Amino acid sequence: MSEARGTRSGAARRAAPWLVLVAAAAALPLLSGDPTITYLATTAGIYVLVGTGLNLMFGYTGQVSLGQGALVAVGAYTTGILMADHDWTFWAAAPVAVLVAVGAGTLMALPAFRLSSWYIALVTLGAAMAARSLLVEFEGLTGGWSGLIGIPRPVLGPWELGERGVFWLVLAVNVVLFAMVRTTVDSRLGRGMMAVRDAPEMARSVGVAPARMKLFAFACGGATAGLGGALLAVHHGLVTPDDFTLDFSILFLLVVIIGGAARLVGPIIGTLLFFALPELLTGLAEWRGLIYGAALLVLMVYAPQGIAGEWERLRARRRASGTPSDAYGTSDVSDASGTDVPVEVGPPRGEPLGVELVGVRKSFGGVHALQGVDLTIEPGTVHAIVGPNGSGKTTLLNVISRLLRQDGGRVLLGTEDVSRATAERLARHGVARVFQTPRLLGASSLRDNVLLGAYARERTGGTATVLRLPWARRERAELTEEADRLLADLGLAERADEEAAALPHGEQRLLEVARALMTRPRLLLMDEPAAGLTPRELESLGRLIRAIRDAGTTVVLVEHHIELVASVADVVTVLDRGRLVTSGSPQDALGDARVVEVYLGAPA
Amino acid sequence: MIADILVAGLVFGSLYGLVAVGFNILHRPTNVVNFAQGELIMIGAMLMAATPIGGLPWGIAAACVMAVVAIVTLAEERVAVTPVLRRSSHAVGWVITTLAFSLLLAEAAGRLWTDQPSTVAPPWPLSMRVEEVLGVRFSSYQVAVVVIAVAVVALLDVLDRSRLGTALRAVAADRDGARLRGIDPAALTRRSFLLGGALAGLTGVLAAPLLLASVTMGLGLLIKGFAALAVGGIGDNRGVLVAGWVLGVIEAAGAVFASPGSQSVVLFAAMLLILLIRPNGLRGLAVQRHV
Repeated sequence: MSEARGTRSGAARRAAPWLVLVAAAAALPLLSGDPTITYLATTAGIYVLVGTGLNLMFGYTGQVSLGQGALVAVGAYTTGILMADHDWTFWAAAPVAVLVAVGAGTLMALPAFRLSSWYIALVTLGAAMAARSLLVEFEGLTGGWSGLIGIPRPVLGPWELGERGVFWLVLAVNVVLFAMVRTTVDSRLGRGMMAVRDAPEMARSVGVAPARMKLFAFACGGATAGLGGALLAVHHGLVTPDDFTLDFSILFLLVVIIGGAARLVGPIIGTLLFFALPELLTGLAEWRGLIYGAALLVLMVYAPQGIAGEWERLRARRRASGTPSDAYGTSDVSDASGTDVPVEVGPPRGEPLGVELVGVRKSFGGVHALQGVDLTIEPGTVHAIVGPNGSGKTTLLNVISRLLRQDGGRVLLGTEDVSRATAERLARHGVARVFQTPRLLGASSLRDNVLLGAYARERTGGTATVLRLPWARRERAELTEEADRLLADLGLAERADEEAAALPHGEQRLLEVARALMTRPRLLLMDEPAAGLTPRELESLGRLIRAIRDAGTTVVLVEHHIELVASVADVVTVLDRGRLVTSGSPQDALGDARVVEVYLGAPA
Repeated sequence: MIADILVAGLVFGSLYGLVAVGFNILHRPTNVVNFAQGELIMIGAMLMAATPIGGLPWGIAAACVMAVVAIVTLAEERVAVTPVLRRSSHAVGWVITTLAFSLLLAEAAGRLWTDQPSTVAPPWPLSMRVEEVLGVRFSSYQVAVVVIAVAVVALLDVLDRSRLGTALRAVAADRDGARLRGIDPAALTRRSFLLGGALAGLTGVLAAPLLLASVTMGLGLLIKGFAALAVGGIGDNRGVLVAGWVLGVIEAAGAVFASPGSQSVVLFAAMLLILLIRPNGLRGLAVQRHV
């Protein structure tokens, strides 16, 4: 009870600067008698709103949208038409504007669904251009070049909101949205978004469907842009096509990048610096285009994390230089504890899964990586796959985990034919993957990286997460505890809050294992986990693999390190040039004359 | 009327195809799609329309324009492409930097030249005078543009089979692997940017008499060139030229059957539709993903 109160007062202390900031912003129009200030502050607030949505799309999910301005236009025109021409109230028109903008945003993302990220940039750019000519084309609806005028202010009960009223409305919307986005990026959804951005294949292997995630991000971005447009319409009282030029779309991208992509405060800093500053210093406004271009170029090359990112880096460096002995001590501790303590592997989500491959073939252009492989992997065993470089081992793992689709043959998981299933569906069935080169959320903490493993297991839906309902919080606490336990078992507890990218290579691999175990897998696919490990680390890896099997998980191990294979494997399969050479117990398989020949060449 | 649509479609489609071929040349060694391509072409057209270069004999003028735009493109490679690729921290960093370079070019052009569109006369003996042969109306300059576009693609095909082309393919497939074979990816990247820049300059020179040369013409060419690139399939020069023609015809048909203002909407909708059905473009040379 007292502990709960303790964390609550901690939260209050962290929230204090924000409360002061919001209060100061709210008081701004009362303190300054100048209506221009209120007007500019309202515009800036709307830009922050739209920027925050774009930050979800670009910063967290890695999708460059150049059509954000067009989505704002959609929201503004919808509101304008409904309010000015059809006498709707703002409170009825704004939700419709949001819905229409969500639809437009999702539509914009659709063709880019299966294509790489930069397609989205150009498709959204094209959409922005098409939207502008549509605004002029449908003159009857939109007023053509002259636009819509006479959009009334929102009415709240008996009061019509004035300039200040609209400002406070914008501020309130921003506060609510900020809290929602903050919860979202710190949840399963946020981790899924970052996984799509940093390592799409890894994302699929933990159960995130990248296409759906991108659509979700575009829907979020569309919603905020639509809301921003609705507010802009009642703020200006008129909308014209000239308000929504390409520069307007680029402004939002700039605001996010300069402030700091994937930083919550990024859009706020960016807006203040890049909109408010030139607006106040009128001499600068004329040079805005050149400043935009130069700032984007310089920032992207020298400070891709923006101002918020640079600030964090400076602070981190100051903290590190302040306590040098401590930093040394930490690495020492993690090294010593290693994994001498037996790892407590949680029970898998069900019975161990066996795999059966029937005549599996896969070619890359002229390279035949797999040429008809038949293989049975018994459930509950450690099954090692060895072979020289280029023998098709990794391709085999990719076919089993469905990151690649075979050209021919069938793949069965347990009794189910998964020949046409997707990787993300398999992850939900309890298949986990450890990659050959670590695929991590580099900028996230170790704890968040492990929690990502629970993506397919978490039951709390998006709404419950954002609203922080009790069961959502309970599940989150339980999973966090489990992740911390895994980190502790692997000797990484001390660094749970550090950035994953800062870890040495060996420990990044351990972190991959922790993420895979967090899925509570029924089948674990490991791609050369021993590469680059010290003899000590190797020994604990062997123990770890056995512990995972004993807990009831099938382990498929692709490995070059023959001693490790001999000590942990129940069955060894040897591949050579895409064909199965032999399969059997470690002694039999590794002692086979053909295997010696595969590795060392034919005896003279 | 059908013949008019086809002529206009082929002529403008050739321009869009040339823009897309320019994308391809720069994409080969870097995997970058240059968002400044449209503005580079605009610079080429404006050099012909608004500077003394335009007064020189056509051949010399075209060569000068190509040289200037090639140098500008090389500058882009230096400041906006290589630095981000070296860091490669952000997978889409180059989208932002090439876009930023494009903004800078547009802004600089806006300050140097007026935004009044100006007409440029085609070189002697070609002209824009409309001839009628068997009921089809076209001008000699329009024929020349289509012929030059085909010639450029044919020339690049020859280049592609040469030693240089092979080296470029090697760099595209595996930059580090190519380096081990004694290929210098940085030098190849510079050469590709010079070549792509020269082509952008040529496209601008060709476009100037057809479109009105103006400082705002770049964005439209960028997007239409991209549509041709996406529909034709990236890396496939013949494919993008054909795609350019297809889109040009669709655009011209849209102008006749819908309204001239809806051209860009029709074009964009057509591109989306084709991409939804064939995500890898019309010829569908799929790129194999690997883990």
